[in-house]
Amino acid sequence: MTAPTTSQPTPTARRSRSRSRFMAIVIYTWQSCMPPKRWLAILLPCAGALLFGLLARAVDNFPTRERAFANVAAEGIFSLVMPIAALVIGDSVLGAEVRAGTFHFTWLSPTPTWQIVLGRWIGGSVVACITIAPATAIAAFVAGAPSAAGPAYVAAAVGSVSYIALFIAIGCITRRTAAWSLAIVFLVERLLGAALTGIAQLSPTWESRAIFVGYLDDPPQRLIRAGIPQGGDAIIRLAIVAIVALVVANWRMSHMRLSGASD
Amino acid sequence: MATNFDPPSFGSPAFEPPRVDPAFAGDATVEISNVSVWFGPKVALSELSCSFGAGVTGLLGPNGAGKTTLMRAMTGLVDVNQGEVRIEGRDPRRERKVHGRMALVPEDEAVPAGLTARQFVHYTADLFRVPDREAPERVLHSVGMLDVADRRVDGFSKGMRQRTKIAAALVTDPQVVVLDEPLNGADPVQRLQLIALFKQLGASGRTVIVSSHVLNEVERMAERMIVLMHGRLAAAGGRHAIRDAMDDRPRHVLVRSDDGRRLAASLVALESVAGVTFDQMRDGLVIQTVQARELATELPRLARDSSIRLHEVRALDDSLESLFRELVR
Repeated sequence: MTAPTTSQPTPTARRSRSRSRFMAIVIYTWQSCMPPKRWLAILLPCAGALLFGLLARAVDNFPTRERAFANVAAEGIFSLVMPIAALVIGDSVLGAEVRAGTFHFTWLSPTPTWQIVLGRWIGGSVVACITIAPATAIAAFVAGAPSAAGPAYVAAAVGSVSYIALFIAIGCITRRTAAWSLAIVFLVERLLGAALTGIAQLSPTWESRAIFVGYLDDPPQRLIRAGIPQGGDAIIRLAIVAIVALVVANWRMSHMRLSGASD
Repeated sequence: MATNFDPPSFGSPAFEPPRVDPAFAGDATVEISNVSVWFGPKVALSELSCSFGAGVTGLLGPNGAGKTTLMRAMTGLVDVNQGEVRIEGRDPRRERKVHGRMALVPEDEAVPAGLTARQFVHYTADLFRVPDREAPERVLHSVGMLDVADRRVDGFSKGMRQRTKIAAALVTDPQVVVLDEPLNGADPVQRLQLIALFKQLGASGRTVIVSSHVLNEVERMAERMIVLMHGRLAAAGGRHAIRDAMDDRPRHVLVRSDDGRRLAASLVALESVAGVTFDQMRDGLVIQTVQARELATELPRLARDSSIRLHEVRALDDSLESLFRELVR
């Protein structure tokens, strides 16, 4: 072994071009934050989405297949499966790494925190857009409601992406990312959000439902909730939620106390 | 660089310490000023003041002394509750650019999952915008990891993980290198090679800070040492001063031989021996001495002259803990 300053001849580098910091973080998110077990944990909710598609096909007390799928998707996919998939992804891209004690390999670089936050978010969002979002669209086909596939994809993609931003922010605030994320999804969003429209307006669960319902040709009236923006307006609402979450994450990231895996 | 050994100092509130204080390096790149860090009720560092300059400095202390916390505070991973940390005059918590000048090799075994050693080093090079694209291959070669560079780091042994992390740290060509127990898990040959590497880094003008709880290991690479105990500065100075301090303390040496009774009778005649007892549990003689160096010379001679075969000679309190206990008494 010799010091790098007095190197010996070595084989040619495998990769001759350098990547930007941002691209390096995005690619690292896919390569390292998503080990096979995590992929399995993401694919399970995707399989769940398909099962809900089958369930929608099986129920016959709705006038159309679209309505059957709309009801099943609203209660099963957007309220349960999508948040779980997004939670797994959101926790993987930051919280799990902080807990494992490997995040400081990224943090201890001169990379601006906003690039780290944005890179992780984009990395996670791409994963969501190729897993849970298409699974939701495929579920529409499985249910025999192909016209709902587009709205389902858009709603699942936007909902997941905003959830991931939220979970990254939680990962920057607390080490117990998964526990806090679950509490927010099921206690704040599901329980309080069901009763209080003000909370539902900021909730990816409720707003992704509203996106889905807003883009359906023949939406079931019972799924249209008063006081919640629908369709494109709901997308804007979730975009704002995601931006605020990313700003909070960026601010918190520079104040993180990374005490390591052993502590 | 300070070379004198000083009695224990428990943190100085003065920001500008006198030059003669061996806790402070003359050409400091890393300055620790009156730093305290606590985690809830546990105080990890208490009013610690010291500095580090070019060359290799050993950071010594028993487990729980605060070495890792100090290293994390130096690199900005942990915010200090009181006091200041400066790297080349800048605060590592507030000025992220200073991270481009330093590197940490953490003690814990955690490595990024799913990456090969080559990918990991390239990732670090990308984050630091290392312009030299040959640098990753070169540092992998430097730590002897080039042959296994395409294997995943999470499948590596502890020693290989350490070397990969060292490669990732060195690829950025840092001015300040902070190594937390870097020799953990390395085999004897690798230890020698890594020690040579760290010495070379220090000789090239970099500030190299190496923590360990094994004195023998550190004194082979560091000219200067900072000793921590219970989060406080216990001692500082040159390695010889620390070693002399250790040698002058009463020590106990276990000797196992084929004729303990005859050896004991011969030992009591030696001036370097203050007392001899038989330890049934260890099945050997325990010699108390205040002149360890003399004993080390006299004991083999005595055994040879008396035709006694020595099976084991081991200092029972050669650990740093015993030294630290003496130093802070």
